Amino acid sequence: VRRVCCAALAVFLAAAGSSAAQDGAPQSAQEHEVKAAFLFKFLPFIEWPADTFAGAEAPIAVGVLGSTEVADDFEALAEGRAVGGRAVEVRRLKPGAAPADLQVLFVGRSQEGRLADLSRAVQGRPVLLVSESAGALDAGSMVNFIVAGGRVRFEVSLEAAERAGLRISSRMLSVATNVRPARP
Amino acid sequence: VKLPEFIRNSIRRKTMLVVLATTFAALVANAVALLAYDFYSFRTAQLRDQQAQAEILGRAAGPAIVFNDRKDAQADLAALRARTEILAAALYAPNGDRFATFERAAGGPLLPAAAPRAGQHYSGDYLLTAYEIAEAGQPVGSLYLVAHAGIYARIFAYVGILLLVMPVALGVSFLLSAWLQRTLTGPILAIDSAARSVVERRDFTVRARKTTDDEIGVLAEAFNRMLAEVEKRQEELAAADRRKDEFLATLAHELRNPLAPMRNALHLMKMAPGDAQLTGAARDMMDRQLAQMVRLMDDLIDVSRITTGKLGLRREMVELGAVLRGALEAAEPLANARGHRVDVRVPEGEVRINADGTRLGQVFLNLLNNAIKFTDPGGRVSLEAGVRDGWLEANVSDSGIGIAPGMLESIFEMFAQADRSLERASGGLGVGLALARRIVELHGGTIEARSRGLGQGSEFLVRMPVAGAGASGEPAGGEAPGRVRGTGSRVLLVDDNRDFAESLAIVLRALGHQVRVAHDGASGLDTARGFRPEVAFLDIGMPGMSGYDLARELRAAPGTAATVLVAITGFSQPADRELAKEAGFDDYYVKPVEIGRLKRILDGHAAAS
Repeated sequence: VRRVCCAALAVFLAAAGSSAAQDGAPQSAQEHEVKAAFLFKFLPFIEWPADTFAGAEAPIAVGVLGSTEVADDFEALAEGRAVGGRAVEVRRLKPGAAPADLQVLFVGRSQEGRLADLSRAVQGRPVLLVSESAGALDAGSMVNFIVAGGRVRFEVSLEAAERAGLRISSRMLSVATNVRPARP
Repeated sequence: VKLPEFIRNSIRRKTMLVVLATTFAALVANAVALLAYDFYSFRTAQLRDQQAQAEILGRAAGPAIVFNDRKDAQADLAALRARTEILAAALYAPNGDRFATFERAAGGPLLPAAAPRAGQHYSGDYLLTAYEIAEAGQPVGSLYLVAHAGIYARIFAYVGILLLVMPVALGVSFLLSAWLQRTLTGPILAIDSAARSVVERRDFTVRARKTTDDEIGVLAEAFNRMLAEVEKRQEELAAADRRKDEFLATLAHELRNPLAPMRNALHLMKMAPGDAQLTGAARDMMDRQLAQMVRLMDDLIDVSRITTGKLGLRREMVELGAVLRGALEAAEPLANARGHRVDVRVPEGEVRINADGTRLGQVFLNLLNNAIKFTDPGGRVSLEAGVRDGWLEANVSDSGIGIAPGMLESIFEMFAQADRSLERASGGLGVGLALARRIVELHGGTIEARSRGLGQGSEFLVRMPVAGAGASGEPAGGEAPGRVRGTGSRVLLVDDNRDFAESLAIVLRALGHQVRVAHDGASGLDTARGFRPEVAFLDIGMPGMSGYDLARELRAAPGTAATVLVAITGFSQPADRELAKEAGFDDYYVKPVEIGRLKRILDGHAAAS
């Protein structure tokens, strides 16, 4: 019996240790770096309406508002890389600027007060609105970063995405911590 | 391959061995083929299945790696628990670090710390599948699956099935073949048992049962026919043996018969040497008995010639009338003794035929003697003969006891006698008809017996080709016999047997001929020079100069070139006759020679002169 207990303890300890080791790697990265990476990684899972792009090689325009770090990181990440045959362009938006000709709009925490306005501004256009503020989904955000247990996760509002005419891959939803369903 | 003895000795076991070996080979071949196919298809399916599993899982786990969600990745891998063949799995981040793992049991196969290269391979009884996960064309990590291949278990299962099925299949084929091979081996064993009983009991009346129409049936039939043949031969052999025994008994009896009267006659002559009438009767008796014995001996010699196939013919142009007259004369005493009337109808004038006159005479004498013997005293015997279209047709008939229908053929067999008691009473060895048939057949002809039944008399028909026959023809031979002048002829006798020569000389002198005797070739030649004999009787086997040489010398000498040369010899082979003819002899006689024949030669020459 003692041996079995020892074995169980060993397994438990090993599992805990490995879990700690696995968690250690991303934690060492800065939060904005992870968010920039996620932002870039969202792109393949998003499907824009067919008439969104001017041509087959028209770039995907990503607007970043209210977070220079994310914009820097994203720019470094997207440099020279393509998603679905399209280049990825970063547009650093000034507060107050009109979010025109964008496919993705990231609104940093510093601009979270403008979220509802911006949501309205892109209303009816296929723009993926990404935010990093608690309760942002209620303000019209479609993908919202949250930090749980020291790790960056995200939640998705299918309802908002559907309104904008965007489709988000269910495979991306499978890793979302919370998905607000589309209106029936 | 040398089979063990208990199989070698039995066709049934051999067949069984063939069937079982065939079944075994078929089963093993079948199992190997199935196993190879199954192994191949199982492997292919397994590889495809694991690849598909990796693809599905990799695709599902892709976002978890992309968005660094370990919990989710772990949950994805945990879904593998339902796939019992998968023992362990791991997800690797793009940088090659292990991201999430799944292990069914502790102490299972080790998961590599770094991401392995994509691909599938077997290692031991494990199937290892490494799959590269991609999102939107970008590699995002990889998946590693360790599955239990179960190939050994499968092979063991196959061998187990084979081991289970093998005895059952062999047993079934054993029973089936035991049942079916009865149709094959049954008929063979039937022949075998027949053959065994033939060998063990020498019983040739056994027959193999024919149960099939195949080759074995044919074999059984052939075997039975052979047995029938053997049985027939055995019966024939036994019959021939019996006939020979009977013949020997008859022969002994026949040879002994004349001795008693001869001894009696001798006694008479000793007792009353002065009584001319008594001694004359005694001499006549001895003469008759001696003649009978000589006839028996001649028959015996002919029997041996027939049985050894040495009976030959000496064909020449002979006068049919002379042949028939000779036979009739020889048969006359017996016919007279039994008081028969003998009717003779032969062609008028001289009819010359190409045949062995002596032998042909023998045929008619035998037929006449038979007719006379087997007809009750006071009966009728007739002889008819004629030549038509080159064929001699003759017929000897009688009013005698006849022949039973079943005996018409068998009376021609050697030693056959229709009625032993009667034959015995009449004297004879039972070879006459066999000899007659043989002689006629050698002439290319046929002889047959006819009878309307017992007591109805019998008839013998002889038909044979006598090529060169004509109503009249040239005298046979080119040599004109020497003329004999005066009442007697000059006769030279040369023989180293003094008793024979002197006794014959006395007889010939008594017949009124001039006779000179010599005992060897040289003195014979000397004597002939001055004596110029018309007829010379020469022995063949003499010391110094042989009869052949003497004949040649005589023919070469002017004084004796036309002398009638007659060989008198103990030799009796056809080849000797040929040699005699070549040496210049006109005639050839085998000892003992009847005085009557010599007398006829001398008379013939005398008459011709």
